[in-house]
Amino acid sequence: MPRLLLLAALAMFSIAPAMAGSFAGSSAGASSAGSSASSGSTSGPDKVVLQARDDAAGFVASDGRIRGAMLEAALRHLRDADPRARQASDMELARAILAQ
Amino acid sequence: MNLGAGGATRPRRVLPWLAGWLLACATTLHAAPQLQLDGEALTPPQAEAAREVLDAAVRRLPRTWADALDPGIVVEWRDDLPPDIHGRLRGERLLLRRTLLDDWIARGAGGDANPATRPALAAVIHELAHVHDRSPRGGLSRDPRLLDLAGWQVGPLRFGLRLSRNHFTDRSPDAYELEDPAEFVAVNLEHFLLDPGYACRRPALHRYFTAHFGSAPPHVQCAADLPFLQPDADAGQTPLLELDPARVYAVDYLLAEGNDRAMSRWGHTMLRLVVCAPGRPRGPDCRLDLAEHRVLSFRAFVDDVQVSSWRGLTGDYPSRLFVLPLRQVVDEYTKVELRGLQSIPLRLSGEEIARLLERAARVHWSYDGRYRFITNNCAVETWKLLHDGVPRLTNERLSSITPHGLLRKLAHAGIADTSVLDDPVAALRAGYRFAPANAHYQAMFDVARGALQLPQHKVEDWLALAPGQRAPWLERGDLRASAALLLLEEAAQRREELLARDELKRLLPDHAEDADAATGEARARLRAVLELEGLLSRPAALLPSGYGLPQRAERDALAADAQLRAAQLREQDRRLHDEARALLTPQRRARLASIDDNLALLGERLRRLHHEGGGLQLEQLQARPQVH
Repeated sequence: MPRLLLLAALAMFSIAPAMAGSFAGSSAGASSAGSSASSGSTSGPDKVVLQARDDAAGFVASDGRIRGAMLEAALRHLRDADPRARQASDMELARAILAQ
Repeated sequence: MNLGAGGATRPRRVLPWLAGWLLACATTLHAAPQLQLDGEALTPPQAEAAREVLDAAVRRLPRTWADALDPGIVVEWRDDLPPDIHGRLRGERLLLRRTLLDDWIARGAGGDANPATRPALAAVIHELAHVHDRSPRGGLSRDPRLLDLAGWQVGPLRFGLRLSRNHFTDRSPDAYELEDPAEFVAVNLEHFLLDPGYACRRPALHRYFTAHFGSAPPHVQCAADLPFLQPDADAGQTPLLELDPARVYAVDYLLAEGNDRAMSRWGHTMLRLVVCAPGRPRGPDCRLDLAEHRVLSFRAFVDDVQVSSWRGLTGDYPSRLFVLPLRQVVDEYTKVELRGLQSIPLRLSGEEIARLLERAARVHWSYDGRYRFITNNCAVETWKLLHDGVPRLTNERLSSITPHGLLRKLAHAGIADTSVLDDPVAALRAGYRFAPANAHYQAMFDVARGALQLPQHKVEDWLALAPGQRAPWLERGDLRASAALLLLEEAAQRREELLARDELKRLLPDHAEDADAATGEARARLRAVLELEGLLSRPAALLPSGYGLPQRAERDALAADAQLRAAQLREQDRRLHDEARALLTPQRRARLASIDDNLALLGERLRRLHHEGGGLQLEQLQARPQVH
């Protein structure tokens, strides 16, 4: 899943650091190509669940205290798609997302 | 009107003629104006053609324009205009190139729709547009709104002072429009009246002229969606994003907070488009359709691995409007840069959102400005986009050269609703804020430490261990501790990648020394990657023909071409990663490989613990993710 982002944002840290993030080029393309390679073969809604893995890890590790929007999106997606997911608790679903 | 008679026009001949004309033309829409023809130098066929041209041009004018035409205008056809000049205005005399009449005579069948008629008609309309613009009813080229739309943008430092250059140079129908606002108006009125596609290619200007004249010529039906080129589309998807503004529920001011490393509160300004998933009605529920959301981000395009402060100060980098998936932006800032993001809703109506997106599309396809650290940075560009896209905002004093400053002013004016951040927990849950990944590192470490009695006390000490020293602990935790360790191992990976990147930055620039064969290959690959990125970051470069927003046929051609180039970019990028990894020191490579092993170990452990605990299996649900 997370992969080497060797050239991601290669340029970002070399300059007046205040402006980091305002630069594309070796940053925008390379990093994005990195992220697409990591998620390239999955279709839209499934991606929602895959992308929530880090949020799910934080949720599980903090016993529900840390709760980010990516996790919320994945929970809603799972419950919209399947009635059985509606009966499961947030923690049960977060664990399932984490265990992919 | 006294056409073809030659010599001066005498009033007593005009009145009877006009009466007859009115009778004959009683069924036409409106009365033609009194354009006088100075036909002295014309042959009879040319004089005949001149009358046809003037009649045809005048028929095209909106009624309010035609009615207001000055009856004193005289049209003269000459042979002494400079090359490439079709017409000129001298006081009330329209001087037009005489050879246009010969082309008109040779035009063949097809009437006004025949493309060969266009140069003569355009020349007349262009000069009449100048006359109108200079008249009391005109004044278009001095109207601030027209200047906003045209691209003579307001500057950030002194309110109301406009930039002297128009940077909307890409996909122009005629570079002459960039000469000055008066020429812009004249050229665009040519297209407004003669080009049925103008309404779709320059919708905001079409709307402006329609409102000014109270009518518009018949035009084609425009597609509802707006095209954007998104170079970072996933594999297999076209980089051409066709976005229907009706699917955009809200636009947020997306602020990347400064971080400790930057020792700065400067931040970065973007706009987030809250796009609803297909089929979901526009409403608050769209806020969680995160996979659909897009970010508009102005960035300097840097064609090198090193950013030069000097080039940044002097405006040597192009400023481009990038369209990025929200997920990518969140990852880049919160995980790689360890900066938080604030997403503050802007109070805009549905109509205003549509106009703003239309403006964004124009900027995306036509703008080729220069990035300047102080006077034309992300905050200034975003302010200009809001200013030019939403006319209501031009009344507010919003101009700022810093991301936080612009947000403060937007909030003060009641446009940005910062109250969404009042409850920090709710803000994270709803995606009004995205926390930097390191906000929880110590908490994660405390969870793992409590469960495993790790010898370290601080997360920094844990992350500083060699990956192999962490490995034995990774197989011992329960689900909670393993989840915490997973996030920490990912943090370790990104940290190692940053160090690897620093190594590469010393090797890859062309001026760096110690180039062996492998380094040379990687450098060549890097140049190829940067070239492809440059091309994809300037959408107009992929479409050599047409002007304004690309229409169906252009979009189809673009979709195929851009997909091909994006695939090339991915492939080159993958090989660059491989080659670059081979350039790293053996120690660095070993650490990166060990971290990969650690992550695999943790993934396996999490799956096993979950399975053994009888946890819910996503595979059994209908919407099971297909992991490849």
